Amino acid sequence: MVAQMIEGWNLVIGIEIHAQVNSKSKLFSSSPTDFGSKPNSQVSLIDAAMPGMLPVINKFCIEQAVKSGIGLNAKINKKSIFDRKNYFYQDLPQGYQISQYKDPIVGEGFVEIETENGQKKIGVERLHLEQDAGKSLHDQDPNFTFVDLNRSGIALMEIVSKPDMNSPEEAVEYVRKVRSILRYLGTCDGNMEQGSLRADVNISVNKPGNELGTRCEIKNLNSFKFIHAAIVYEAKRQIKLIEQGECVNQETRLFNTQFGETRSMRSKEDAHDYRYFPDPDLLPLILDDDWIKDLQDSIPELPDQIKERFINEYSLSSYDANIIVSDKATSEYFEDVVKNRNPKLVTTWVTGELFSILNRKNLIIEDSPITSKRLGELVDNIENGKISNRQAKEVLEEMCESGKGALEIIDEKGLSQISDENEIESLVDNVLNSNPENVKKYKNGKDKLFGFFVGEAMKLSKGKANPKIVNDLIKKKLSQ
Amino acid sequence: MEFDKKSLLKLGKLARISISDDKLNNLSKDLNSILEFVDQLKEIKTDQVDPTSNSLDQKLEVRDDKVDTKNSAEDILENAPEKEMDFFVVPKVIE
Repeated sequence: MVAQMIEGWNLVIGIEIHAQVNSKSKLFSSSPTDFGSKPNSQVSLIDAAMPGMLPVINKFCIEQAVKSGIGLNAKINKKSIFDRKNYFYQDLPQGYQISQYKDPIVGEGFVEIETENGQKKIGVERLHLEQDAGKSLHDQDPNFTFVDLNRSGIALMEIVSKPDMNSPEEAVEYVRKVRSILRYLGTCDGNMEQGSLRADVNISVNKPGNELGTRCEIKNLNSFKFIHAAIVYEAKRQIKLIEQGECVNQETRLFNTQFGETRSMRSKEDAHDYRYFPDPDLLPLILDDDWIKDLQDSIPELPDQIKERFINEYSLSSYDANIIVSDKATSEYFEDVVKNRNPKLVTTWVTGELFSILNRKNLIIEDSPITSKRLGELVDNIENGKISNRQAKEVLEEMCESGKGALEIIDEKGLSQISDENEIESLVDNVLNSNPENVKKYKNGKDKLFGFFVGEAMKLSKGKANPKIVNDLIKKKLSQ
Repeated sequence: MEFDKKSLLKLGKLARISISDDKLNNLSKDLNSILEFVDQLKEIKTDQVDPTSNSLDQKLEVRDDKVDTKNSAEDILENAPEKEMDFFVVPKVIE
């Protein structure tokens, strides 16, 4: 549908991601960063911008920015500078945000995403550290705005992409990938619902061969769904304007999640004039080689590397590997289960059956009612032929509801599969002897009856007979 | 650099400071004389010098990531002219 809508048009998309550093205290003050606390209970004199207060930078936040930079294959700048970005707003007590302008801590890098046409490299322009602002509530009172400064001063990493994305799908994949890398690194929890990771999307449209169109920025998108919907809406809006002979104004827009449309927030005439200048309260940040080296050594295996290893070590398909590594908890879970087991079987049970239960119950894998150890036991019982795939599904459901282990449920329900050849042979003989007519018809060419014999034998065993052995035996007997 | 009245009004708007007409002339004159004074710096040749963001020959001090809460919501809101339910209250802001 999107492809149809934009046929004959180029989309050019660049994204700024704001990722909250996973720190206990704020960037320049020792206030806590807990989500959902009582309003204004996490505000120090620095966060409230009381006169005479001086910012002191959080070492952990510097390290997370460097680690994130390494994870984004980016250049680490040994010297970076903090600037004041000046604007007047009620949730910014300082009257300026401490940010980085000309000399960010991290320079150019890239991430690779999967697209319909294979791998694509998306450039990263920079990553810099900055303070978050407070929160304004506009809908509590018709005449007043309410301000909570708990978020004021929390450390953010702003990750700016190059305008390398050309479809809503690519934009979503890019944000997914960056989020995944940050989560593997542990530098940001990536919780979009709580606003730990949000995206501003810049988008313009043009006819192929023509120069780039005028771009609009859509601010503060906090879910993959909204990123996709906002881009689709905005591209349509811009194309319609141009086709009607009108101009796209460069402006900042907000996505209304209720109506699924973007609305102008402020036009270029009111554009902010931030008057950046180096913050005289802060010296340049110098990273020495040893520090960078230590951080490099602390980088864990990242999704791209794990994916490659899974493909090589466990012969996973690129598709399956992608699904599993896209989330850190999932790849850890998978790796717990797959040890010394059949990777193909484990993949099916993790990405198929387990995922469908988690989806249905709206749970993340960290909260899975079935631990990796328990799922492993279930897979063992399938692998050694004790239960069939179908029985295993039943057992998994029961494990989920009762919290019991696979073996316990198999015993309780008497589910254990019959794999004893003699026992099955007597079942098969029984079936063939009681249906002489059908045996005759089968031998005269009515192949379809094969399924009937298998069905009868399975019924006789109350579904417990190993279907493979039943099949083999019937085939053998009927060809005699 | 010449600071004309239009730029001055814009600066006032950005800082949310209203500048009355009768003050505009004098303020503009003052600001321009300050800028003229500072302009002397341009006479120094700096094309071979890295931009200096700070004149102190020191490293940036860092602190460990430790929480140290010194204020409660009550303390911090004590300075607020208007407050309600632990929030600062300001005139309605409409973008």
